[in-house]
Amino acid sequence: MRRFFLLLGFCVVLPSAYATVDDAISRALEAIDSYVKEGYIVRDDQWGGDLGVEERKVVPHMLFKGNDYWFCIGTDVDNARVTIHVYDSKGKLIENDSWQKGRFAAARVQASATGMYYIIVEVTSSPKERTSWAIVYGFK
Amino acid sequence: MKINLPWIIFSATILSISFSAFGDSPLPRIDLSKLPAMQLDDVVVPLPSEVFNVLDKLGTPNWKDELRTPGINNHGARVQIALLLGSVVAEGFVAVEASDKERVKQIGRDVLELSRAIGVEKTVLSRTNLIVTKANSHDWVGIQSELDGALADVKNAMMELKDAQLAHLVSLGGWLRGTEVVTSVVHKNYSPDRADLLNQSGLLKYFQERLATMPPRLRGNQLVNKIQKGLDEISPLIHQKITPASVERINEVTGQLVKAINSSA
Repeated sequence: MRRFFLLLGFCVVLPSAYATVDDAISRALEAIDSYVKEGYIVRDDQWGGDLGVEERKVVPHMLFKGNDYWFCIGTDVDNARVTIHVYDSKGKLIENDSWQKGRFAAARVQASATGMYYIIVEVTSSPKERTSWAIVYGFK
Repeated sequence: MKINLPWIIFSATILSISFSAFGDSPLPRIDLSKLPAMQLDDVVVPLPSEVFNVLDKLGTPNWKDELRTPGINNHGARVQIALLLGSVVAEGFVAVEASDKERVKQIGRDVLELSRAIGVEKTVLSRTNLIVTKANSHDWVGIQSELDGALADVKNAMMELKDAQLAHLVSLGGWLRGTEVVTSVVHKNYSPDRADLLNQSGLLKYFQERLATMPPRLRGNQLVNKIQKGLDEISPLIHQKITPASVERINEVTGQLVKAINSSA
């Protein structure tokens, strides 16, 4: 995913589609910006796609004990509401902190064990049928 | 066939509760086994620097000792070049840890050369230029970002060329070299906390599945076959308590595979 390009491969590629994708990434980067100032190293890679209301996407993610992570999601759709939460391999919610502000949301994990975790994103409300989203993460 | 309606209603209710909208109050627990496959995305492969970051917190590894000079030959098969590209980028992260400006610059040039060999050099040209520029100004965080971006750009370009399998091999090449370095550092100064970083069975399984589902022409490749066998050997070592002996063995196996990647290209 940064795989947006794959998604676009199935669609008629219009300039406006690119703009939407780019805007979702911009929003996600906007959400994580304050953590950069706190010393988190943000990956220069993004994950995303588009979802209908109350649809979810699960992104498996390897995390390492000792690292402190922030995962941020953003969408370009005005008045849309997105969420992001992190579960461990046993399905237990393990985030240490999280927040949700309209089209932005974030979750923090101070990994207590190395292993596979599951980032679950959801569009909880949106004026549009499909809502573009993007997640970025940083660690320190 | 007799239809058990109450049971169907009960199951549907449970399933619906399992995946009900999280809203602002996330469920404290979910049943991952019931996640619909269509909701599952590809595994995010971590950067070597995410593991190196923890090792830095647990001690002061001698990163210069871990640096090596891969043989860059851009005349090999695409499979081999993809694997080598991943391992060279991983080497870049080691060079950043070692604060080795010249090695970083050489790696930037190597990434460009290898990308050219598989026809995706245009996508990484600006990245590789920035790697050199940022190396000159000792912008180590910036270099990591460019290496990460170059990796993502190369993989995206491969996917655009309908070569997703090669993109997976780039990731695998990076993981193998990263794991070789991590096991080397852990082996030199073993502790349970350091060894815990090798609890990567989920990621290993992901790579094994990627190789197993590759088209026969790729699975039949001698190098891919060798890597598949190597991963099969590492798998039981990672699935149990990771001892100094298993760390050493994983280091040997990954070292041999990285050597094979370098010598085949």
